[in-house]
Amino acid sequence: MAQHTLEVIVENSPGVLARVAGLFARRAYNIERLSVGPTSNPETSKMDIVVNLDGHALEQVIAQLDKLINVIAIKEILPDSPQPTIHDTQPDYQN
Amino acid sequence: MSGMSGASALVASLEAAGVDVMFGIPGGAILPAYDPIFSSSIRHILVRHEQGAGHAATGYAQVTGRVGVCIATSGPGATNLVTPLADAAMDSVPVVAITGQVPTAAIGTDAFQEADIRGITMPFAKHNYLVTDPDDIPRAIAEAFYIASTGRPGPVLVDIAKDALQKMTNFKYPTSVSLKGYQPKDLPDAQGVLDAADLIAHSHKPVFYVGGGVIKAEASRELLELAQLLGAPVVTTLMARGAFPDSHPLHFGMPGMHGTVAAVTALQKADLLITLGARFDDRVTGKLSTFAVNAKVIHADIDPAEIGKNRFADVAVLGDLKHTIAALIPALARALSKNRPDLTPWLQQMNALKASYPLGYDLPKDGALLPQYVIERLGKISGPQTIFAAGVGQHQMWASQFLSFEHPRTWLNSGGLGTMGYAVPAAMGAKVGAPDTTVWAIDGDGCFQMTNQELVTCALNNIPIKVAIINNDSLGMVRQWQTLFYEGRYSNTDLESKRVPNFPMLAEAMGCVGLSCDRPEDVDTTIEKAMSINNQPVVVDFRVHRDAMVWPMVAAGTSNDDIMIARETAPDWDSQEL
Ligand SMILES: Cc1ncc(C[n+]2csc(CCOP(=O)(O)OP(=O)(O)O)c2C)c(N)n1
Ligand SMILES: [Mg+2]
Repeated sequence: MAQHTLEVIVENSPGVLARVAGLFARRAYNIERLSVGPTSNPETSKMDIVVNLDGHALEQVIAQLDKLINVIAIKEILPDSPQPTIHDTQPDYQN
Repeated sequence: MSGMSGASALVASLEAAGVDVMFGIPGGAILPAYDPIFSSSIRHILVRHEQGAGHAATGYAQVTGRVGVCIATSGPGATNLVTPLADAAMDSVPVVAITGQVPTAAIGTDAFQEADIRGITMPFAKHNYLVTDPDDIPRAIAEAFYIASTGRPGPVLVDIAKDALQKMTNFKYPTSVSLKGYQPKDLPDAQGVLDAADLIAHSHKPVFYVGGGVIKAEASRELLELAQLLGAPVVTTLMARGAFPDSHPLHFGMPGMHGTVAAVTALQKADLLITLGARFDDRVTGKLSTFAVNAKVIHADIDPAEIGKNRFADVAVLGDLKHTIAALIPALARALSKNRPDLTPWLQQMNALKASYPLGYDLPKDGALLPQYVIERLGKISGPQTIFAAGVGQHQMWASQFLSFEHPRTWLNSGGLGTMGYAVPAAMGAKVGAPDTTVWAIDGDGCFQMTNQELVTCALNNIPIKVAIINNDSLGMVRQWQTLFYEGRYSNTDLESKRVPNFPMLAEAMGCVGLSCDRPEDVDTTIEKAMSINNQPVVVDFRVHRDAMVWPMVAAGTSNDDIMIARETAPDWDSQEL
């Protein structure tokens, strides 16, 4: 299974790391690596989350992450492409 | 306006959000808020347990479509709200919970009555807030109501530190809410609607698989029009009972573990599931890998994360179902004008199944009172406008099976979490939301003993609900599983509730009228007597046969193909052409 990196832009609010980590824990998704850092906008932070998931399971993780109110945008960096695929909020994955 | 306490700003915000009633109990941390509540136009109903406040808010929300509100103090007050908030999350009910928190400086010190309720509710609340600055209160409340009531509805908790309630602030309620990370999509994509219409117009065995989302979206009228346009079978899940009239010839009942043979088989044998606001719950699908194996799936929902969660969707339509179905009607009419498959053979098969395997029960020879009979008579005598709230267990399944639902928002139950104790407080909230409608709680003798204290609240606050206890002396649903899967070893399911408590006396002690009935010939007169009392809550102890079982049944983890209509009895598939 390929590793995927999700670049997640979140609101810089207390508890947001717990929300993201909790989501992975309760839906039984493994986090391979996680780092959190600032962005140029002081109101947001960026999380880089590396997961060992593919296809359907990856889509579910992204869809569930996107439901978190404090998650603003999710970019998926595909393993073999330098260009990130941008996932807007509330994307339409299946069509 | 300016210069008021955070507590006053909280109450002013709730008023600005349109709240007319809330359910709660005061305590230290939330106490500052109770002072302005005292003089507010909002009706505050003092419950006897915070769990009751939470389920009452849920019941209110489920009958009115508005946001239900509950309020509690920090620590144990807040943790008592956990079960009803988890319940509201599972059934997508818009609820806002306000909790007091210990003062900001004390947070994290294990202060008296400190509990991290934001952390506790994080896994299931749609969202939650911890407010420590009084200036943030109006925005948090406005956002909470917006988030709870839009998109896929759900519970939102606002935890407010006591000092934020006490400090002064300049009150200004936001005129609009915009959240970068939350933009629910109401309007469906045109292409998805066209693809769905096209798929429907090319299927020969389509079924409308209708979930609770249709009720939330107020889309029953649109559904009726769509179903009649296509003329295909409709099944309504436990959460969707009433979304489509039971009396309609296209309705084939409830699917799932205790669904009708026709509804379960319709899904199993379909070539297309037109899924509207349903979520392929395991209680509906049975063993997922054997569920509707030949069907393509159209999945229309407002929650993108439901698409493909349990079952792949060939066509997904994201949006508010009211808009989605309204758009689907003309699109389907156009598609059908080009290609109209003949659904007659499919409907004939389904009608044959419906005729061969109606829901029913055998009358006992010994004159014992049967639970199904009691529930059937309750439905017949009280009529289709009546609101019913059920507990969890056998009585819940019989209520869903043997009441006949004609209207949305007349059936309340805890579908997703299966919360015993839901019925009495939910009925209380429902009656507050619909004071001119008869509200019956159909409760188990086990469930009733979990939350009946709210009958005191009902008696004192002129909330005349009616409660039918289906007293089978036991935790009946668990006992049924012990009968079927544990060789009749009835470990800890005998409640002895025909001995203790004396339910009519308990009811009288709580300011209600208590009645009792144990003979079939007395059922009608007892129900009529209960119906005639409208100035007090009424509790009827229906003392029923303890061995009645819920059929049909698809055993947990097995395939819907293995549905049983009675113990060790499968439908006679050979005589059916499927
Ligand atoms: C809070 C809670 N505890 C335990 C259960 C497990 N459970 C499901 S049904 C049931 C029995 C309910 O008994 P009763 O209310 O008498 O209803 P009956 O099945 O007899 O109609 C139990 C214990 C549950 N659903 N909820
Ligand atoms: Mg019972």
